[in-house]
Amino acid sequence: MVHEDYKEMIPARALSALDAAEERALNEHLDNCSECRKELEEWQATAAALAVVPAPVEPSPAVRERILSEVRKDLSTAEVIPFSSRTRNVWRSFGSLGAIAAVVLFAALIISLIVLWQQNRTMKEDLAQSKEFVELVTTPGAKVSELKGIDLGAGATATLAYDKTGHAMLMADKLPNVPQGKAYQLWFIVKDKAPMPGKTFVPDNIGKGTLKDQMPAEAFGSAIFAITVEPAAGVDAPTGPIYLRSSDVN
Amino acid sequence: MPFLWLKSNSRLRPYIHRLQPKPGQEDDVALLKAIAGRNEPALAQLYDRYRFILFGLLIRILNNREEAEDVLQEVFLQVWRKAENFDESRGRPFTWLVTLARSRGIDRLRTLASRERVAEAGAREVSEVISDAATDAFKSEQRGLVTKALAQLPDEQKRTLVLAYFDGLTQSEIATRLGAPLGTVKTRMRTGLMNLRELLAGKGESFGF
Repeated sequence: MVHEDYKEMIPARALSALDAAEERALNEHLDNCSECRKELEEWQATAAALAVVPAPVEPSPAVRERILSEVRKDLSTAEVIPFSSRTRNVWRSFGSLGAIAAVVLFAALIISLIVLWQQNRTMKEDLAQSKEFVELVTTPGAKVSELKGIDLGAGATATLAYDKTGHAMLMADKLPNVPQGKAYQLWFIVKDKAPMPGKTFVPDNIGKGTLKDQMPAEAFGSAIFAITVEPAAGVDAPTGPIYLRSSDVN
Repeated sequence: MPFLWLKSNSRLRPYIHRLQPKPGQEDDVALLKAIAGRNEPALAQLYDRYRFILFGLLIRILNNREEAEDVLQEVFLQVWRKAENFDESRGRPFTWLVTLARSRGIDRLRTLASRERVAEAGAREVSEVISDAATDAFKSEQRGLVTKALAQLPDEQKRTLVLAYFDGLTQSEIATRLGAPLGTVKTRMRTGLMNLRELLAGKGESFGF
């Protein structure tokens, strides 16, 4: 079969209506043909529209409970961090070499416990921030805007959410390190007005950064957002290049 | 000068007049990202938003409330485990969720080998159909739009699409069922879906699919 033959099969594949042998053959072709993969995605979007045809139906509340119960089980398993605090009685075999080995082991154990404690604390902080962010996003009337890295910030991403009261939260990822004495600063940009300054923040060593801010009233529903690198204390008007800006939302 | 700064970043200017996010789409993407970060409230929120439409679809496919609830649970547990696989550049959250739910529903249907069910009899008896006002994500306007487009298709195309999408029949099975040549069924299916796409063109964007 040639490319055009496979292309003709794609609408039926979007409806899962190919026979098994045809589907296997098409799937092999899809592995190597980005054009056909893209076309399948488009046909799947059309087919998905049919899902709204049947009348909406309320499932039993027990389904929700069962799902969330499984999720909680999963989370509780994942949150247990195994500390391997073996308490071997090395002092009983006290000798000069044994003592040195014991001191080295003890030091290594203390260091690993500190590292694990720090990792655990970071995980908990990340989780708390993530929860706060979702609560903000899911507030009625909340808005969300994606920011993407440009030029010096290429590859970085950020999501800014804000509610009706202007409480805003930014979560950024893959940010480049900033030089000593510098920080990232958020800007609210409204047409025909000077950019309004937001707060500054410094990302952690893996490029993650979080910022909570109060959005100026003028920026509600009509602002784009940008992030620049500025002096750590922040400035009233941007001086540095834009690292990220809000994405095209229309 | 602030305006000079804006001017120097000229790529920003085209964005200034297009600022309002599309709430449904962007909220769903944010929820899926949060779920990928193992956030339980985000999964609950996504479930609350889509449970009506996905359960309605599964009831239509399986014609059995218990089976449909079981599959709905599987679907959202899969969302929990696989949300990180969602790639917004490859499609909308709605398409991803519906494709996942329908695929699971059809798999279950084929396992149960219960295709000989009476299509007309079931869903209304076993389900509590709810008012459109109660469905947050999918208003009656959307159903009306797609139903109207489907109704505009020639009967043979419409029947082929329905037998494939909701009854999980393959092209060969449809040909046997209708007593039509396989080539004819393939043409009807392809043309039917193309016509549906044309009828929905320019409208899907505003309705979230």
